[in-house]
Formats: sequence, structure tokens, C-alpha cells
Amino acid sequence: MIQGMINSFCNLFKKSATIDFPNEQMKISKNYRGLINHSDSDCIWCDVCEKVCPPGAILFLQNMDGSKKYNYNPYLCIYCGECVRNCPKPNEALWQEENIAFSSSSKKEVQDDWFSLEDECKIARVKYKEHKESLKKSQKVEQPLS
Amino acid sequence: MTKVLNVPLGSQHVALLEPVSFKLTTKNERVVEVTADVGYVHRGIEKACETKFKFKQIPFVVSRVCGLCSITHATTSTLAIEKLLNLEVPKKAKYLRILALELDRIHSHMLCLAHTAENAGYEALFMRILRDREHVMELQEILTGNRVHFDYVCIGGVNRDFDNDLNSTFEKYLKIFENFTTEIKELFLNNWSLSLKYKGVGAISADRALEQSLAGPLIRACGLKIDVRSEFDFLPYSELDFNIITSDGGDVYGRNMVRLDEIFESIRLIRAVINNLPEGDIQTKVKGNPDGEAIVRLEAPRGELFYYIKGSKKPNLDRVRIKTPTFTNIPSMIDMLKNQEYANVPAIIASFDPCLSCTAK
Repeated sequence: MIQGMINSFCNLFKKSATIDFPNEQMKISKNYRGLINHSDSDCIWCDVCEKVCPPGAILFLQNMDGSKKYNYNPYLCIYCGECVRNCPKPNEALWQEENIAFSSSSKKEVQDDWFSLEDECKIARVKYKEHKESLKKSQKVEQPLS
Repeated sequence: MTKVLNVPLGSQHVALLEPVSFKLTTKNERVVEVTADVGYVHRGIEKACETKFKFKQIPFVVSRVCGLCSITHATTSTLAIEKLLNLEVPKKAKYLRILALELDRIHSHMLCLAHTAENAGYEALFMRILRDREHVMELQEILTGNRVHFDYVCIGGVNRDFDNDLNSTFEKYLKIFENFTTEIKELFLNNWSLSLKYKGVGAISADRALEQSLAGPLIRACGLKIDVRSEFDFLPYSELDFNIITSDGGDVYGRNMVRLDEIFESIRLIRAVINNLPEGDIQTKVKGNPDGEAIVRLEAPRGELFYYIKGSKKPNLDRVRIKTPTFTNIPSMIDMLKNQEYANVPAIIASFDPCLSCTAK
């Protein structure tokens, strides 16, 4: 019992095991798997990251002039890093940082329109394919004339 | 005069850890009849694996089945797919898989011990074990890059290399683990509410346990040497002098002792892995699509985990079947609850360490 009294008295002056969160930041270890970053200038637009992503958190929106727009949803991402490992130019076109996405209270910030974007990407891809084929056909028609 | 009462326990209850529902019929505070319902968190993961995801994404999907044994699910599915692809995995990757699996076992057992302490009315010990468990989570984060969903195992090997400068970090953490496990074991051995109170509670005989095919620490607590780690050579456990931990009695106290000793065994295995880590690659290239059927069993923290995978040379698999240890243990849990006092029921359920998100998947 005396030992118990001594222990509880000592515990009064011990440092707390929890983190005083807003004042003190959480300790994140080196090489923590966080957000995915993308560089437009280094990307070769091969779409491998989009294909391997398990939850489908990366989408490329096809524009009619042939260029693509990179879209990333940090709230759908599972931070597995599979996209970076499969990227032909890792750490240049695509890399993973150590910070993670913060929670949000508003629907807009968590990319509520992501699933409509998914449909948009599918439609845009089909349209671009048709557009390309029609261009090829018109070229073929033009060739014999010239 | 006997008074018959029907007591529902769950699906949400303060003493329950997971969404499972029991309907108990009690006679004078003694349980006579039990029915259980386990399907509260069904998410259709098996179906999703067959339709929505390609086989290379399956380890990432099935690791979301359970937060506690995510690495075990990922490893078992990976081993099954590798079997279908006839892949030879580098030896270093195999050793690193054991490392991640054993770290996972330590933190899962600690959570179970914490809940057992809580159900004995020992809230302070619950907090203390969870505080110490945080160190294990930190070490997992250092090794894999995340606390819970490791995504460490991939088809063909592992995703991250083990740097040599991690040796000293691991040694530092393993010493911390050993210290706190020794302290906790002393409490579990000598404290009245944890040792004497739990002796004989929820006991099952070895014959009955075999008959009902109990799995994991529960059957080892009956004194039977049954462990999947010693039966298969998917992972090189035999090279690391792996011992099967047993205890006798088959009661809640025995299960606690098996779990505590398994933490020590896991620490020893981690040391052995780091000391004997071979040199070489950590990944091989994956070619082709899986064809045929494969069955893989692996020892999860709670017992034997079973995967059946069928493919037919397509990127999508034909069938993924998961059988989890808790699913195997539910019949004997119902059997064990009979003829027990009602007050003991939460403690017995906690000693089973049920994982319902695994079971319902």
C-alpha cells in the first residue's frame, strides 16, 4: 500500500503521455506516406498512375486539343504510393510528400463533385476518340484529291 | 424459484468492442441459451475483389478488411496470387514480411490484453497498455510509412527496403517493448482482479477445443501445439527457430498468458530477422495473369486465416474467398457462454478477441 502511495505521488509529477495537440504538432516519422504531388512540365501523360490507383483517386480529363488535365482527390486517396512506384519518372513527374490532407467541415473542400468528374472524364475520352477518327477520315478523303 | 430473463447484448453495447449481437437467455443470472448474429458490418469486399479491382490491386483492397490485421490479409492474398503466377520471391522480401507480420501481432495482442483488463474493471491498466502500444505503432510507421494500413506487401515482394540505419532504431524500440511487456506480465500474474478472478472462467477442454476447431491463441491456451506458422513454408519461420507458445487450463487467464508470451516470442523473432537479414533484391517483376486455384493459410494474430483465390488468365479474379479466425471461433464462443454467470460474459467475449469487421467483411 505504501508502495502504491509512492507510485501515485510520483505519477503526479510525471510528464503527460498525450500531445497537447493544437499547440504541439504531432510527430511524423521520416518517409511517412502523405499527399501525392504532380508536375505538369515533367509528366509524359502515360496515364499509368490512373490505371494502377486502387481507389481511383487520380483522373485525367482529356481536352479536345489533345492535352490532359491532372485531377487528384486527397480524400479518396489511400496513400499507398502505388502510383509513384509505377510512374516512369518517379520523384520528377509524381512524388509523395510527408504531409497528409486535413479534415474539412465543408462539402465543397472535400471534392464533392468528384463522381460527376469521373463521368465527365469517360465522356470526354469517348468524344476525343471520335474526334480523332473523324479527323483521320477527313485526311484520308483529302489525300486522293491532292 | 427460477426466473427466466432474455437479455439482448449488442449490437451496440458499452462492454462490446465490435458490432455483434447476442441474445442470451438467463436463468437466475446463469446463461442457458445463446444465439449470435455477426453480419452487421458487411461491406461486400469479396464481390468487389471479383468485379471492380484488378488482381494487382487486391492486396490493397483486402488489407482494408480489418484495421488490426491488415498486413496479414494483404500477405495471405499476395501469397495466393504469387502461387498462381509461379513467382519466386526474393529471400529478403520473405524475411521483411515476417518482420511486418510479427510487429502486427504484438500490437494486436496488446489491444486484446487491454480490453481484457478493461472488462475486469481495471480501466487504468487499459490506458497504460494502450499508451505502451503507441510505441509499436510508431515503429510500424517508421518501417512502412503508415500506422494502420501498411500497404507494405506487394505482389512479388515488399514495397520498402530495410535500411541498415534502422537497426539501431529497432533495437531501441525492442528494448522498450521488452520492458513494458515484462511489467504488464507481472500485473497479469500477480494482480487479483486479473489472475485469480479469471482462473477457470470460460474454460474449455482440449478435446472439446479440437472438436470445435478453435484457432489461434485460444487453442494454444488448451495446451495443444497448433500453429499455422510451423505447418507451412511460405515464409521461412523454421529458419528462425520458431517456438509454439502454449499454456494450460483453456480459460481466460491461460489465453492472456499465451498472448503475453507470444509478444516475447514475436520480439525474439523480430531480432532474429534483423540479425539474419539476407542481402539482395526486395521485389521481382510480375508477368502474366493468375491462372488456376490456390489456397493459402497463414497465422493471423487471432488464429488461422484462410484465402481461396481462383483466376482464369484475366486481370480480374474469378473468386476470392476469405475465412477469418473469428468466424471459426464463433460456435465455440456460443458453446462457452452457456452455464456461465452473466457478469462473466463480456470478459469471455473480450478474451476471444473477436474481429467482426474481418468476419463480416
